[in-house]
Amino acid sequence: MLTHMSSSDPLAVSHGTTAPSRWRSDGRADGIFRWLVAGAATLVLVVLGAAAAAMLWGGRLTFETFGWHFLFSSEWDAVNKQFGAVVPIYGTLVSSLIAMLIAVPVSFGIALFLTEVAPYWLRTPIAAAVELLAGIPSIIYGMWGLFMFVPFMAARVLPWVNQNLGGVPGVGPLFQGPPLGIGMLTAGIVLGIMVIPFISSVMRDVFRAVPASLKESAYALGSTSWEVVWNVVLPYTRSAVVGGIFLGLGRALGETMAVTFVLGNSHQLTASLLMPGNSIAATIANEFTEADSDIYLSSLIALGFLLFIVTFVVLAIARIMLHKLAGKEGNT
Amino acid sequence: MINDTIPPVAETEQLMNDVMPPVADAVLSGTVPAPIKIGVRHLDFFYKSFHALKDINLEVPEKRVTAIIGPSGCGKSTLLRVFNRIYAVYPGLKAQGEVILDGENILDPRYPLNRLRSKVGMVFQKPVPFPMSIHDNIAYGVRHHETLNRAEMDDRVEWALQQAALWDEVKDKLRQSGMSLSGGQQQRLCIARAVAVKPEVMLLDEPASALDPISTLKIEELIYELKKNYTIVIVTHNMQQAARVSDLTAFMYMGELVEFGDTNTIFTNPSKKQTEDYITGRYG
Repeated sequence: MLTHMSSSDPLAVSHGTTAPSRWRSDGRADGIFRWLVAGAATLVLVVLGAAAAAMLWGGRLTFETFGWHFLFSSEWDAVNKQFGAVVPIYGTLVSSLIAMLIAVPVSFGIALFLTEVAPYWLRTPIAAAVELLAGIPSIIYGMWGLFMFVPFMAARVLPWVNQNLGGVPGVGPLFQGPPLGIGMLTAGIVLGIMVIPFISSVMRDVFRAVPASLKESAYALGSTSWEVVWNVVLPYTRSAVVGGIFLGLGRALGETMAVTFVLGNSHQLTASLLMPGNSIAATIANEFTEADSDIYLSSLIALGFLLFIVTFVVLAIARIMLHKLAGKEGNT
Repeated sequence: MINDTIPPVAETEQLMNDVMPPVADAVLSGTVPAPIKIGVRHLDFFYKSFHALKDINLEVPEKRVTAIIGPSGCGKSTLLRVFNRIYAVYPGLKAQGEVILDGENILDPRYPLNRLRSKVGMVFQKPVPFPMSIHDNIAYGVRHHETLNRAEMDDRVEWALQQAALWDEVKDKLRQSGMSLSGGQQQRLCIARAVAVKPEVMLLDEPASALDPISTLKIEELIYELKKNYTIVIVTHNMQQAARVSDLTAFMYMGELVEFGDTNTIFTNPSKKQTEDYITGRYG
């Protein structure tokens, strides 16, 4: 622009009379804008920190009374005022793990079908249906789980599981016990169904963002659809896919209502997935109204704090794994 | 009529002589007949209801470079994408007619896709290395068609990279990601990847249009080297490039094959007015 001007001093360019004030107001507006967006981002950190601090404060009586013992004790006895977090932590992790074992492959299949296989007219309706699944309130999942799915599991699935997997060496103890219907396995399955929409819609979006010519290059070398997705699309989108999986895992870890309905709320530590258990969120939801002593209430709040920690640790491990994986495949 | 977008004939020949040894003269002048590698007969192509290719008839000679030129949307890429049936990746696309490769109709649904793609390689407009190491980029396609042991595979990778004139630049970093290379190197990696499968036909879809002039020149030199062993079909919207690298040129317009023949003839003495208008720049 400036080089086109005939003036000997390139800065003495005429931009009209409004220019100088426009420059000043632009500079101010940019500054305000910067503060606004920085504030929005900071808000997250503040809320997160405040919530964690509030729960740590609320649970201080428990941490003072039981110390590390709270983390390693499976005792949960409201009458004798003895509390330990092992059963809820175990239940949270195991039910979420079962949920992920179900949701990740199914979501991958949904995303693969919607981006590579399905005819175009079918893609939008199925994608919409999947997203609708995400809109169902968790209380509905809980009621459906308790009234429809639990009896079905008790009558049809669990006896079969018990008979055929209960005797398998190694994993047998996981599948032994009376087919009650409610329990870890049922809760995990319901959780899995609940997080499928989150994982599959992230996967679908990132698969769609893969350049067509990258996929075509793989097809042109003789790859099948599966090979294209597994060898090219998945590595290309790896970090986003893992991000989607952990979005789902985060939801599974913290899910409350549905799990409360079908998990059974038992503070017995058991290896069997058929037996009732408990999770952190379900324990809090179930027992908050019954907490008649300070130490009981404090223990529930302390559990909430532990859920924070558990979620944080799981997500941190995921990040580290992702980093290691990226290094191994020569992307550094 | 020639305007300044096309170098005069003498200059074109000079250009060609710079890169090509005299042996090529016979080929360029078309005095050496070549057997037919791909025969296209009454080919029609549809994107759903849109009639994209209309009754195309064309014969691609073996070990020659055939260029397809024409304005955007004329169907040149569509035609190229029929030769390895890559269009079949997408639902709703349909080709009718015959495309005969070595005596067999590749449009016959019974013709195995895997076999077709081991015989017909393709390089795309944008360089798209797979998200894996340079070595694995090359080995990826080979594994679909052959079982090689480690040493054989290493040899194949080296051979393919040498064919694509990339070996010297990457031999010390075969374990690095293919994405770490420059754009021109990435495109040669893609050519090496296609070559590694040992195809008979190479389809190049505007292989240099995303590259800088020096990388473009390297790709063009490479095409000249590759045609000793491969039948090459190249789609380009760069007419000088078509004139420089090809032996035969097909001009397409609105889904029809307007004119097909010896490149020199097409560029110096086209028989159809549409062709002349296009190569002289009177059509946008």
